[in-house]
Amino acid sequence: MKKLIVIGALGLCVLLLVKCQKSAVFPADQYNDQLSGGSETVFDATSKAFGNMFPELTGYDVHVHTLGDLIFNQEFVAEPAIIHGGLGPIYNNTACSDCHHNDGIGLPTTGGTQSSLLMRISLPGQDEHGGPVPVPGYGLQVQDKAVFGAVPEAAVNITYTYQELTLPDGTPYELRSPTYTLTNLYMPIVGDYLLSPRLAPPMVGLGLLEAIPESEIVAGADPNDANGDGIKGHANYVWDPVTQTTMIGRFGWKANTATVVTQVATAYNQDMGVTSSLMPVESSYGQSQYDGLKDDPELPDSLLNAVKFYAQTLAVPARRNTTDATIQHGEALFISAKCVNCHRQTFTTQVDVTRPYMSNQVIHPYTDMLVHDMGTGLADNRPDYLANGQEWRTAPLWGLGLFAVVNNPGYYLHDGRARNLTEAIMWHGGEAENAKNTFANMSASDRAAVLKFLLSL
Amino acid sequence: MKNSLYAIACVSLLTFAGCKKSNNNVTTTGPTETQVLTDFSNDLANPNYQDIQAKAGVMNTAIDSLVLNTNTTNLNTARTAWVNTRRAWESCEGYLFGPVEDDNYDPDTDSWPVDAVELDSLLSSSNALTVGDISALPQTLKGYHAIEYIIFGEGSTAKASDITPRQKQFLSSLAQSIYNTTTNLRNSWDPLQGDFTAQVIGAGTAASTYFTSRQAAFLTIVGSMSDICDEVANSKMQTPFAARDSTLDESSFSHNSIIDFTNNITGIQNAYFSRYNNAGGHSLHELVAAKNASLDATLQSQMQAAISSFGIITTTFEKAIYTQRNQVASVQNTINTLKATLDGQLTTFVKTNIKD
Repeated sequence: MKKLIVIGALGLCVLLLVKCQKSAVFPADQYNDQLSGGSETVFDATSKAFGNMFPELTGYDVHVHTLGDLIFNQEFVAEPAIIHGGLGPIYNNTACSDCHHNDGIGLPTTGGTQSSLLMRISLPGQDEHGGPVPVPGYGLQVQDKAVFGAVPEAAVNITYTYQELTLPDGTPYELRSPTYTLTNLYMPIVGDYLLSPRLAPPMVGLGLLEAIPESEIVAGADPNDANGDGIKGHANYVWDPVTQTTMIGRFGWKANTATVVTQVATAYNQDMGVTSSLMPVESSYGQSQYDGLKDDPELPDSLLNAVKFYAQTLAVPARRNTTDATIQHGEALFISAKCVNCHRQTFTTQVDVTRPYMSNQVIHPYTDMLVHDMGTGLADNRPDYLANGQEWRTAPLWGLGLFAVVNNPGYYLHDGRARNLTEAIMWHGGEAENAKNTFANMSASDRAAVLKFLLSL
Repeated sequence: MKNSLYAIACVSLLTFAGCKKSNNNVTTTGPTETQVLTDFSNDLANPNYQDIQAKAGVMNTAIDSLVLNTNTTNLNTARTAWVNTRRAWESCEGYLFGPVEDDNYDPDTDSWPVDAVELDSLLSSSNALTVGDISALPQTLKGYHAIEYIIFGEGSTAKASDITPRQKQFLSSLAQSIYNTTTNLRNSWDPLQGDFTAQVIGAGTAASTYFTSRQAAFLTIVGSMSDICDEVANSKMQTPFAARDSTLDESSFSHNSIIDFTNNITGIQNAYFSRYNNAGGHSLHELVAAKNASLDATLQSQMQAAISSFGIITTTFEKAIYTQRNQVASVQNTINTLKATLDGQLTTFVKTNIKD
């Protein structure tokens, strides 16, 4: 009985500790705040910092990750081909790494070989699962390239207008507002359609984000702003085409994708026109570009699984200079400005005995995995399941300070409109309006400290 | 593994805590780290990129001659120029970092496989084939291997008389496009132009936004040396070897694969010695030798062994994957042994000894 009491007491302690971690402030005595990805953190601040394997992988897992790395970087070509065929007939790019260069953030252009911005498209309304309604002849994504003899769906054009603005202390800054239009439509679209631009995001830590317990994410939601902090996050629930169930959305700028494997299979299918057993129907099926080849699935399961595993097991780079006094001051300001009320510092991943490298990791992703109203400035006005036209998922900030090194010069936000961190912050609105204003009203040295802190992530 | 990570983390912390920034980056004997980064840039990277551009210029001229007078002599001259350009290019793959990767000069010139279906469609169409049109093409339709596909052909069987007018037009634009790309690559490091050189030499100072520390610069160099071992042994060689399919080999049209591989590994040696075409300066080799002579000896011997190991393959790589499988596997093992030392002891050496 005594034993049971002791075990019970220990269990309670553990629970209490777990509860403690929900607090936004770092309990720094409990763990090393450099280790953003728990024990799957790597000490690499070079341009290859996002391309490291989990350091705890061993044996066959190393082989699978390495194979996935190879295929992630592999250019695909049109069928029939001796190897790596299946590209198109319509597509956005020819290799994963063409958009996710160095496994990092993409380049906000369209039409080029390294362009990493794609355009989602839909009709107003909801489909039978509550998701966006495909546009006849286009689906849910505009493929702006095509193999020889096929016609791209459209050209995506970006124009920017520039606003010269000043912070309250007179410091100037500039914001560029994008406008997106489609031209050269291969067939007309009847009625209004909705567009939403999406920039290729960095690849680090996806497996760890996938391993956060759903209950922990949902526990952080505050849809009615019960705590009165002006912030109302909620989870997105989306239809997962692989499991054919509704699941919590974790990935994508609006959290419209539930799992890494769905993300990978969808990207092959929609971005490259490469079919797999999970997504065996060509993106062009039913359209005039459809090749009619009986070659599906074009990507073997072994390679799909390898790329999935690669994406799940890319390590998170460690923070730098965490003992620097300015950086610590910047972190304190980041907390007091309530940035952490959405950019949540700490989660603990679920226990997973089959994958010890994913299991029970204390991670610092700087996201609550919830969607929030970000105001009219950033709005795409295109609902995606439960995320309305002004809501976006809190972007994870781990690795943020390395964007400029990994993908020089580095772009920020869902469509890469922000060219530096000040612009990214000043684009925040909606639920983040107060936090943005707190930053804007800081002294120049305090703002510099916040930015220096962000660059340490 | 977990323990070792924490150990590294602790060592790093201790290192950061115990080491105030100073100008004293002199090792016990041997050159300073900055001297090594300077000579790496000036004696290896810049001359190597200049050489690639020069060789691409020769290839461009040779292809112009071939297009004007399409005969066997000019075809052979163009083939030789292609092989020589590849030699310089593959050598720089021993240390792929900086603009060559970040600005996509590598995939723009060296993507593989060639999209033969698309290429044939393009050539049989009436689409324009100017240099400007080439730049808009997917990477799998241009670069070295697209030229190889035409001037060598499958099984190296192309004849001058096979080359069509459309192919000539395409060849001419491809060669000019490669020359333009290699010029941009060369300029990216040129101190008078893009000056990535300053980023390397100034690592750890305000002059470098790219490398926040000298350690980061050296880890990048060592990481890139390891990456090419991996690519050669476990991708370029392994894919056709495992599938027993020579069409999966990267330079199968020209049968140039073994020369490609050898030059990749020579590039690693060049990076270690900060040298190009046997002329060099202060190097990582000296830093290692000053503090750990045994590691230096191991590295030198493993690099030489990896380069020499190709000697046991007595036929083309395309044939060897069928008829000399033990020899191919032995070469792969030798390269992977070098990779293990680069990933293990040399990386640890850099983390331990290059502190700021």
